[in-house]
Amino acid sequence: MFPIIDWHLITLELLITLGLASLLVIDIFAPKNMRNDIIGPFSIAALFVIFGFWLKQHDVHGTTFGGMFVMDSLGWFFKGFFLITMFFIFVIAGQFFKSVPGEKRNVFYLLLWLALLGMFFVASSADFLVLFISIEILSISLYVMTAYLKSDSHSIEAGMKYLILGALSSGFLLYGISLLYGATHSTRFEAIAAFANTHAMTPLVLFSLVLIFAAVGFKIAAVPFHMWVPDVYQGAPTPVTALLSVGSKAAGFVMLIRLFLCVFAAWHLQWGAVFAVLAAITMCYGNLVAMFQTNIKRLFGYSSIAHAGYLLMGAAAGSVLGIASMNFYLLGYLFTNLTAFLVVVLTFNVIKSDSIDDYAGLMKRSGILGVSLLIALVSLAGMPPLAGFFGKFALLMATVQKGYLWLALIAAVNIVISLYYYMRIAKTIYVDAPKHDSSIAVSLPMRLTLSIGIVTIIAIGFFQGPFFNACITAVKGMSFIQL
Amino acid sequence: MMIPNPLSVLLLVPTAGLALVLLTPAAKTSLIRRITSIALLIPFLLSIWIFMAYDAALGGYQFIQKIPWVDAFGISFHLGVDGINSLMLILVGAGSFTAALVSSSIKERVKEYYALMLLMIIGTYAAFCSLDIFFFFLLHEIATIPTFLMIGIWGGARRNYAAMKITLYLTAGASLALIGLIALYHATGLGTFDLVAIQQHLTTNPLSIDAQNIIFPLVMLGFGITLTLWPFHTWAPVGYAEAPTAVSMLHAGVIKKLGAYAIIRFAIQLMPDAAHAWMPIIAGLAVVNILFCGFVALTQRDVKYILAYSSCSHMGYIFLGLAAFNIIGLNGVVFLMFSHGIMAVLAFALTGFIENQTKTRSLDDWGGLLQRMPFIGTCFIMAAFASAGVPGFGNFPAEMMILLSSWDHYRIQTVLAVLGIVITAIYMLKTIRLGFHGPLLPKLNTVIDARTAMAKLPFVILLGILMMVGFFPSLILKNISAATKTTIVSK
Repeated sequence: MFPIIDWHLITLELLITLGLASLLVIDIFAPKNMRNDIIGPFSIAALFVIFGFWLKQHDVHGTTFGGMFVMDSLGWFFKGFFLITMFFIFVIAGQFFKSVPGEKRNVFYLLLWLALLGMFFVASSADFLVLFISIEILSISLYVMTAYLKSDSHSIEAGMKYLILGALSSGFLLYGISLLYGATHSTRFEAIAAFANTHAMTPLVLFSLVLIFAAVGFKIAAVPFHMWVPDVYQGAPTPVTALLSVGSKAAGFVMLIRLFLCVFAAWHLQWGAVFAVLAAITMCYGNLVAMFQTNIKRLFGYSSIAHAGYLLMGAAAGSVLGIASMNFYLLGYLFTNLTAFLVVVLTFNVIKSDSIDDYAGLMKRSGILGVSLLIALVSLAGMPPLAGFFGKFALLMATVQKGYLWLALIAAVNIVISLYYYMRIAKTIYVDAPKHDSSIAVSLPMRLTLSIGIVTIIAIGFFQGPFFNACITAVKGMSFIQL
Repeated sequence: MMIPNPLSVLLLVPTAGLALVLLTPAAKTSLIRRITSIALLIPFLLSIWIFMAYDAALGGYQFIQKIPWVDAFGISFHLGVDGINSLMLILVGAGSFTAALVSSSIKERVKEYYALMLLMIIGTYAAFCSLDIFFFFLLHEIATIPTFLMIGIWGGARRNYAAMKITLYLTAGASLALIGLIALYHATGLGTFDLVAIQQHLTTNPLSIDAQNIIFPLVMLGFGITLTLWPFHTWAPVGYAEAPTAVSMLHAGVIKKLGAYAIIRFAIQLMPDAAHAWMPIIAGLAVVNILFCGFVALTQRDVKYILAYSSCSHMGYIFLGLAAFNIIGLNGVVFLMFSHGIMAVLAFALTGFIENQTKTRSLDDWGGLLQRMPFIGTCFIMAAFASAGVPGFGNFPAEMMILLSSWDHYRIQTVLAVLGIVITAIYMLKTIRLGFHGPLLPKLNTVIDARTAMAKLPFVILLGILMMVGFFPSLILKNISAATKTTIVSK
């Protein structure tokens, strides 16, 4: 019997597939000289259309495909998150291809759309099989995009490292899933949550959870699964780095939230402290090593590890407040990181370098680039009144509420350490004399995008109420919630 | 017609000034200076009006405005003044207005300079009138990044080191205090950051002594670092010395007092039991502050370093007054916060004026300046005497009250603190003798005094305030005691 599918729930995914297909068609039939010019704007336009549909999907809840696909408030929140991420990534990619005009961009954009599809399915998965497939869709797109610059050895090396380690983590994930299936006799989240409620944890289950966490930890770049981050972030083309730092990380955190804080929540007592310890180690490692970096993309890699550490504090808390603060932090992180990467790509197009020393005097050479990067760095450091501050504040609130005062104090120390290297970059762009006096021209659409980024960072940071309420609503409406 | 809340107007004017400065083209430097001066004069006058309009007989918080902000954490944008912070608003006003006036020597990147300065000042104003703990923290931290950038761009020879050190130290203190404040929020169980609500709740249901013993040290130490508690004071000398004049004035005079204000409002007022237990330690550290920083100031040859160490030393008196834990002591602390603030602003402004012309801050290269700069020299001598606690200036009644209040419980510390006054007098007199008295050094033949009324205005304002509260302390004591009466119960 053909199962009944509630098509209403998968509207967004269908639209993305439609966008993907349209892009393919355009790529085949557009005249060769116009091809490169259409793909970027078309993608952004299609994204706006899908965003409009997303807004209307606000109240849609339910499961379909026999309970394997769920649409709930958390999924809705993160789908909007991924759409906004993709908007910035498309803009960054458009600018990036100006520096490598010889490369074909059609496949790159197709892979970006595919990655978006993967991220959407991660946010909506209610079954381990769907989760695994969607993670693989996302990961494989990212592997190929990382190695996209065939003539750049760093890119290929990064792609290889990412592929091998990613495949290893996928292997762990699959092994963990199969062991869990053996224990619970189902891959459905709902069934496993019910199982967790009635059965105590056995060594088999614990082992499977550890394996699954290995895969999740790889995606979110937590210690000790972080080794791939610096090389991949540095070697990959900048739009891919941006997508990794925000999109892939958020997808990993959706997995973390859904699995460990929801489905396995009945067993939470066992790993709250473990997450806390991992959070502490991750933060400290990321911040301490970032102090010595000279390449801005590599520095963002280590900073990304550190921010995963902060986010794990919210996971250690595991309460509604903890998850809501993780959502808020990721939201602020989205705008902060992507604004910064847009500046990186625009600057690279002119100075042809990712070395921080070459960013000297950026403020003098271009006011908008200097101010955007400064605000992004200050927000990443967690200084008021920007988005990063309230994100860290909310995470600290959740942490202290659960009694992890020691973790909060370690986080406080880390804030100071991270301030050092972010301010060192700020000093380079603001205080130091530029190496070349020529000013960097920034086109109007880019100015507009950067301004949107800056304004949003300040708005989220100062008018926190509506955004935080949205994050809490996202958590409270989650399916299989057991908090 | 709805009369707008005076505190909101006080905050909106410099914010509007900041917006105007950002919109002005960078080349129009005189327009930018004028906008900033007016945007800072109006709140200064308004702060004086608010202080005088405060009803001391009624007491409590007045001119209140409350806007709910984040319901999830019970955060609201809550403004209000009582006797303590209405006085501090005048301090911010005087410090900020004079800082704008003395910044006429800045010629490079003028627009960014004034924009950053306005941002720092808006944050400080708002922090002082904030009655919500979260917003206090947020607003007082706004000053961090402008400080870093201003010292880094317009500072002295060691500006990179100084900028990084001051920023990291202040952030470390603030982060520590933040953890303490978050713990306080959870310990009260009220689910709000509203100071008034927490205060009312804790007078009848104080926190358990265990909770207080964890939270109090965090908050005290965190804000103590901002207040240059020994041994965490080393950021101040190099930070103040290498900063441009306006930043030194604002930091040493005004922003530092935010730390003391926070300790009074959050640590002492809300956790009196732990405070009482920790006070002997604070009294001891206070004396170390006074003597250690005082002795180091004796050895310095750079005038700004002398003033910076003097500033750290005087914070010891504030800690001693807090340790005494009675109303007279607290009155003295608030009085000293105000007087020392004005004096520090004045001293750094004068030093900046002189440094602009002599291009050096070293006492070896100053000599006989009184001959060429009678006005500035006299102002400096008066500031020096004020610092030493000579009657006639606000510091005297303040230090008297502190020493009187600490005599009962901390006799040895009080005697040593008096010794500190003598040390202050020694290094201040040394500075005057080496820099101002004696024969004029030949290379200083071309220095010019402050001639025009505009040039003299900042110094006249500051000295006027200092002498007014020195001769008529009751002018401000009435409001201060209305506030301190409800802050602590004398023990």
